[in-house]
Amino acid sequence: MAATLATVRARSGNRHHRGAGRWFVLAGAVVVALLVVAPLLVMLLNAFKSPDDYTQHGPLSLPTSLYLDGLVNFWQRTEFPVKLWNSFFISAVVAVAACALSLLNAYAIGIGRIKGRMWVVLLFLLANMLPQEALIYPLFDMARQVGLSNSQWSVIIIFTVIQSAFGTYLLASVLGTFPPALLEAAALDGAGRWRILWRVVFPIVRPTLMVLMIFFFIWTWNEFFIPLVMLTTNDTQTIPIALASLQGDRMMDAPTTNAGALVSLVPALVFFLIFQRTLTRGVTAGAVK
Amino acid sequence: MTATLSPPAAASRADARTRRRRRGTTLPYLAYLLPGAVLFVLVIGYPLVTNVYISLFSWRGGLAPLTWVGLDNYTELWHDAAFWTSFQNSVAMIVAMVLVPTVIGLLLAAVLFDYLGRRFGARVASVLRATYYLPQILPVAVAGVLWNWILNAQTGALNEILRAVGVADPPNWLGDPSTALPSVMLVLIWVQIGYPVVIFMAALQRVDPELYEAAELDGAGWWRRFRAITIPQIRPETFVVTLTCTVAALKVFGPIYVLTRGGPESSTLVPSYYSYLNFFDKSRVGYGAAVATVLTVVILVVAVVILALQTRAERAEEGVR
Amino acid sequence: MLHRARTLSAAALIAASALTLTACVGGGGGGGTTAGGGDTDDKTLTIWHYENDDSAMGQAWAKAIEIFSEEHPDVTVEVEKQTFEQIQKNAKIVLTGDDVPDVMEYNKGNATAGQLAAQGLIAPLTDAAEKNGWADKLSGSLQTTARYDENGLMGSGDWYGVPNYGEFVGVYYNKKMFEDAGLEVPTTLEELEQVMKAFKDDGVTPLAEAGAEYPMGQLWYELVLANADRELVDRYQLFDGDVDFHGPEMTAATEQLDSWIEDGYVASDSAGLTAEDMGVAFMKGDYPMMVSGSWWFGRVTAEMKDDWGQFNFPGNTLHTGSSGNLWVVPTNADSPSLATEFIDTTLRPEVQDVLAQTGGLPVAGDASTITDDKTRELTENFQAILDDDGLAFYPDWPVPGYYDTIVSQLQSLINRSKTPEQVLDGLESAYTDGKADLLGE
Repeated sequence: MAATLATVRARSGNRHHRGAGRWFVLAGAVVVALLVVAPLLVMLLNAFKSPDDYTQHGPLSLPTSLYLDGLVNFWQRTEFPVKLWNSFFISAVVAVAACALSLLNAYAIGIGRIKGRMWVVLLFLLANMLPQEALIYPLFDMARQVGLSNSQWSVIIIFTVIQSAFGTYLLASVLGTFPPALLEAAALDGAGRWRILWRVVFPIVRPTLMVLMIFFFIWTWNEFFIPLVMLTTNDTQTIPIALASLQGDRMMDAPTTNAGALVSLVPALVFFLIFQRTLTRGVTAGAVK
Repeated sequence: MTATLSPPAAASRADARTRRRRRGTTLPYLAYLLPGAVLFVLVIGYPLVTNVYISLFSWRGGLAPLTWVGLDNYTELWHDAAFWTSFQNSVAMIVAMVLVPTVIGLLLAAVLFDYLGRRFGARVASVLRATYYLPQILPVAVAGVLWNWILNAQTGALNEILRAVGVADPPNWLGDPSTALPSVMLVLIWVQIGYPVVIFMAALQRVDPELYEAAELDGAGWWRRFRAITIPQIRPETFVVTLTCTVAALKVFGPIYVLTRGGPESSTLVPSYYSYLNFFDKSRVGYGAAVATVLTVVILVVAVVILALQTRAERAEEGVR
Repeated sequence: MLHRARTLSAAALIAASALTLTACVGGGGGGGTTAGGGDTDDKTLTIWHYENDDSAMGQAWAKAIEIFSEEHPDVTVEVEKQTFEQIQKNAKIVLTGDDVPDVMEYNKGNATAGQLAAQGLIAPLTDAAEKNGWADKLSGSLQTTARYDENGLMGSGDWYGVPNYGEFVGVYYNKKMFEDAGLEVPTTLEELEQVMKAFKDDGVTPLAEAGAEYPMGQLWYELVLANADRELVDRYQLFDGDVDFHGPEMTAATEQLDSWIEDGYVASDSAGLTAEDMGVAFMKGDYPMMVSGSWWFGRVTAEMKDDWGQFNFPGNTLHTGSSGNLWVVPTNADSPSLATEFIDTTLRPEVQDVLAQTGGLPVAGDASTITDDKTRELTENFQAILDDDGLAFYPDWPVPGYYDTIVSQLQSLINRSKTPEQVLDGLESAYTDGKADLLGE
C-alpha cells in the first residue's frame, strides 16, 4: 500500500515536472538554434541579390528584387549538373566504401582484440593527422603512374582511406565496449566470425554507421584541395571547385557565390535529413537481446 | 572447504579458457584488417615517408632540383618565431574546437535526446539537431564570406547592431590583433558545435533505457542520472570526440585562410597555414614539409596520450566486469 | 537498403581495384612528350584560362579562337575554363604530368611564371618570338615580364610567355563628391594631400583602403615610386643591385603613409578589410577616392551609381602596373606549334581592338578608336604610362611570399603598433632572406 502511494506521488510529481520547466528548456534550445542559423540567414538574403544592389546597399539589406541571373549564369558556365553529379557520385561511393572499410577494420580491432590494438588504431588515424599539402605531391605522382590522372577514382580511393581512419577509430572504440555476452551467445550457437559481424554486431552499431555515412558524405562533399589538384578538366570536377571559379585573382562575386553555395548546400542537407531519420529509430542493446 | 575454494578456481579456469580462445582466434581477425592495411600503406604510408624525406631537402617544387640540407630545415624551425607563434595560437584553437564544443555539445545532445525528445517528441529533437549541424555542411569558403559580413569593422552586422544600441566605437574584430583570435575562435565554435551533438545523440541511443528506469525508480533526478549513467556509458564517444576535435584543432586551416589569412600581424597564424604558406606562396617545399612533419609528430604525441587514456579506461571497465 | 549498401560497397571496391590495374581513365589520353618543335598531335588545340566569358579578355580570346579556327579548319579548339586557384597553386604539380594543355594563361612575375620557367615546366618561345616579331609589338617594360633567365628572374633570357593586355594602378574618384566639395582633380602629390585634407575637414575619410589584402601595399609602392627612378625599380625588382630599405625613397614613402594614417586619410579600422570591402565601399559612395587597379574598371562601370572618373596617381612618372597575364606553353604540350600560332593570333589588330573597346588595355592597340568615353579615358591613361615607360610592376613581386609580409607590416602601420622604421626593418629582412634563397639556387 505504501509502495503504491509512493509510486502515485512519484508519478504526479513527474507530471508536474513535465509542465512548466520543459518550455524554458525548449526556448533555450531554440535560441541557440537561431544563433547558429543567423549567419545562414544572411546568406539567404544575399543569394538572390543583384550585384549593384549588393554594392549599393550592402550585405544586410533585403534584396530589392529577386535576381536570378547570377545563379543562372553560374549554373550554365560551370555546367553545374555535371558538377553536381560528380560531387554526388564521389561522396556517395566514398561514404559507403569508407563505412564498409571502417567496419571491417574496427571488427578486427574492437571485437577481435588483436595485439597492440591501440597502436593499430593510431596508425590508421595517421591518415587524419597529416596535413593535406604534405600528401599531395606523392599522391599526384602515384595517380599518374597507375593511369588515374584526372580520374574520379583517384579521389575516391584517397578519401575512402582518409575518412575510414576516423570511422575505424569511432567504431573500434564503440566495439571495444561491446557486451561479450552477446558474442559468446552467438558463438555458442555455432556462428562464425563473418556471421557474427553481420547478424550480431552490425545491427547494434547501425546508428553509429549512419552517423559515419552522414559525416563521410558531407566531409567528402565539401572537400576542395585534393580534388582541385587531382581533377583537371571540367567534366570530372566537383562543386567546391566550381564555386571557387567565382573567386578570381583579385575580384570576387559575392552574391553569386552565395547563390551557388545555397544550391550546393541543398543536396548535402537533404542527405543529412534522410539519414538522420534512421538515427532516431534507435536500436538498443536490450531490443537485440 | 572445497566449496569455498571452487568458485575462484572455476573462475580462473574460465579465464584461462577465454584467454586461450582469444589468443587462438586473433590471427583470423587479421584478415579483416587486410584491405584497410593495404590501402593505408598506398595512400598514407608512402606519402608520409615521402614528406619526411622531402623535409631533409631544400626544394622549390615541380621539376626543380632537390638540394640536400639534412636537418637544417628543422634547426631553422627551432629559431623561427612565426613557427612558435603558430603553435601558441593552436592552444586557442584547442579551446575553441575541443573544450567548448565538447561540453556544449554534450549538454545539447543530452537535453535534446533525453529531455526534449521525451517531452516534445523525436521530431523536435531532430529538427534542432539538423539546425545545429548546418554550419558543418557549409563549405568553409562560404562560411568565411558570411562571417566577414558579420564581423566586418565598418559594415558588418555585429557592429551595426552595436552602433544602433549606442556603442560609439565598436571593436575592429578581424583587424585588431587583440580581437582577431577570439573572433576566429567564435567562428570555430559555431562551426564545430554540430559535430559533437550528432555523435553524442547517436551514442545516447546505445545506452540501455533499463539503466535509466532503474535510476528513476531509485529517485534520481535528471542531473544525477546524467552524471552517473550517461557520462560513463558514452565514454568511447567522448574520447573519440576529444581526440578528433583536438586533431582538427591542431590541423585547422580553412577558417583561418578565409577569415584572416593568418593576420593581422600574425595574430591568428596556425601551423597548418604556415606550412601552406611555405609550400605554395614561398615555394619552400622542403621547409613546408618540415613544418608539416613537426605538426604531424605533435598530433601523434597528443593522440597517443589520449588513446592511452582511453585504452586504460577500457581495461579498467573490463576488470570491473 | 543496407544489404544493398553492403553489396554496392563490395562492388565499388572491386571496381576500384580493377580500374587501378587498367590504363588511362578520364580526360586527354594520347600525346607523348616532345621537346618543343614537333607536334605529336596537330588536330587539337587545348587552351586553359580562367577569365570570365564576359570580361574583356574573355571576349577578345573568343575572337582569337574564331580567327584561329577559320585559318585552321582541321583543328579542334578545346577550351577548358579553369579557376584561378587551380592554376595558381597547382600548376607546378599538374604540369609535371601528361594531361597538360597546349597553351595556358598564367600569372606573370618571378614568383609565378619565373618559377615555372626555372623548373623547365614551360617551354621557351624565343624562336617563335623572333619569327613573328613579338618584340616589336610589346614595348619596354611590357617585355620584361615575358622573359626569364635560368633562375626564373624576369627581364632577360628566353621568352617564356606573351601578354595580350596590361594593367595598372591609378585613382578612381567619385565626381559627385568632388563637385559637392568644390574640389578639382589633383595633378601633383601636394594637391592630392590638399584634396584629402579638405575632405577630412568636411568629415569624410578620403581614401577607401584595405589592410588585409593588396591595396595598402600598392598605395605604399605608389609613394615609393613618387620619389624613385627606374634605377631603383631595377634594383628592387630585377636585383640589379642592392636596395636600401632605409634610403630616402622608401623612408619618405613610409613616413608619408604613416602621417596619412595619423591624419585620418586612411580609415583607422581598415586593417581587417578586404579589397572587396574597399571596392564596395567606394562604389557605394562612402569614400571619394580609391587607389586601385584597372581590374576594377568593369565592375565600377556596372555597379557605381554616382558619376565617376579615373586619373593616374598625381605627380608620378612610374606607376604600379605591368603586363597582364601571360600565355605560356607547357613543356609537355602535344601541339606546341599550334600553340605559338594561337598566341600570335591574339596579338593581331582585330583581337587587340576587341580588348581596346571592352576596356581590356591592349598591348598593341589603338586608343583613339575607342567609342566609350570612360574606356577611352582609362586606355589613354594607360597609354600615357606606356609612353613614359612607366610600368614599375608590383611591390610583392621580388621574392616569393612577399605579399604576406607586406600585408602584415602595413597592418601594423595602420594599427599604429609599429613605427615606419620598424616596418621597413620587417620588409627588409624578408626581402633579403627571400633574395638570398632565390639567387642561391
